[in-house]
Amino acid sequence: MAKHSPVTGRYVTIDVDGCEYKVFYLQNGKGIPLVCQHTAGCHNHQWRGLLEDAEITQNFNVIAYDLPRHGKSDPPHNKEWWKEEYKLTADHYVNFILKLCDALELKNPIFMGSSFGGNVALQLALRHPNRFRAVIPVEAAGYAPGFYLDWWRHPHSNAAQVCASGVWDLMAPQSPDMDRWLTWFYYSQGSEAFKGDLYFYSVDHDLREELKNIDGRRCPVVMMTGTYDYLTPPEESENTARQIRGGVYIEMEDIGHFPMSENYPLFRVYLKEALRIIQERTGR
Amino acid sequence: MKPDINAWAKKFESLTNSDEAIGAMARYYTCTFMFNMEHAKIIVEMHDGKVKRIDTAPGPIDAYDFVLRASAATWREFAKPIPKPMFHGIWAAMFRQDLTIEGNHLILMQNLRNFTIQFELLRKCGVPV
Repeated sequence: MAKHSPVTGRYVTIDVDGCEYKVFYLQNGKGIPLVCQHTAGCHNHQWRGLLEDAEITQNFNVIAYDLPRHGKSDPPHNKEWWKEEYKLTADHYVNFILKLCDALELKNPIFMGSSFGGNVALQLALRHPNRFRAVIPVEAAGYAPGFYLDWWRHPHSNAAQVCASGVWDLMAPQSPDMDRWLTWFYYSQGSEAFKGDLYFYSVDHDLREELKNIDGRRCPVVMMTGTYDYLTPPEESENTARQIRGGVYIEMEDIGHFPMSENYPLFRVYLKEALRIIQERTGR
Repeated sequence: MKPDINAWAKKFESLTNSDEAIGAMARYYTCTFMFNMEHAKIIVEMHDGKVKRIDTAPGPIDAYDFVLRASAATWREFAKPIPKPMFHGIWAAMFRQDLTIEGNHLILMQNLRNFTIQFELLRKCGVPV
């Protein structure tokens, strides 16, 4: 008897700012849509634990997509994308998420993302609070400078290994070896997009003057950050949450910047608390 | 009691040479680096994934490709079985603590996978400061 996972994968084609994207996503569950964004230079396998979590997928329709240029989502099919340097902007990133949610006919979803996915969650809460039931920015901050580096795609080194080992100690030493090495492996596959993703993460994303305009009462914002995250350390996330009206901050002990991928059993404890808070605040 | 730096060097060499993760991709892991631990300087010469030489008393103009420099207290944190947050790797300590890496960064990047694994062996053998 074959051991099939309940997770299924599909492609959907959408147009975003004139770019034709054939987007791959994984899905499992029923109920409230929970849309999940992987970290920069990575892909949706980071959400493998959540996608197969029987308890959470009983009440949540978990959708983890590959952003274009990552995993199984190609760069745009209607552009000569290889002729220009990839730099992800906040505007395009936000537009992509809205178009994807429209295409999948998701009503009032929760959006959760980690790292550059967490930062875009803050952008969504600011720009489109009426489109989302809530957002869960994981390992996020209003501003996260310092990681837009040439080393991620330097032609004189093995970019795959530089990206994978360059983010190695973003993970906690306590996280299981297998999960840390799987995360390393995913990172070895995404080096061509990593630097361009980090243009958004460290350069184009700057909400320091805008956090006060996010209304966590209209769109609840529950931030979560691991104590071993050196890039967005806990105090940065806490400081961000404090400036958001109604913002919530949860500190995750003994975990790092890729919590859903490096140690899902621990991450899910905190995620369940975040979902409980959202349910309490939205009454659903 | 002052730590025996030569005994430490032998242990670090043995751990490196028997590490399976380094061994799985050992070929071309060739570079020379210094650990500057405030009270001790050590030059490690690697060749194809094996320690070729560890110099525990380098002279002032002995060559290396890159050097990791931090206080002795930071090195002692690196060497704990489970380091505290922000002492759990070279990037963490560069961003948030007093570690600096100087020299030819390109050579570090070219060898980053294996160097990262080897650096974490300090959690097993400690540091001589």
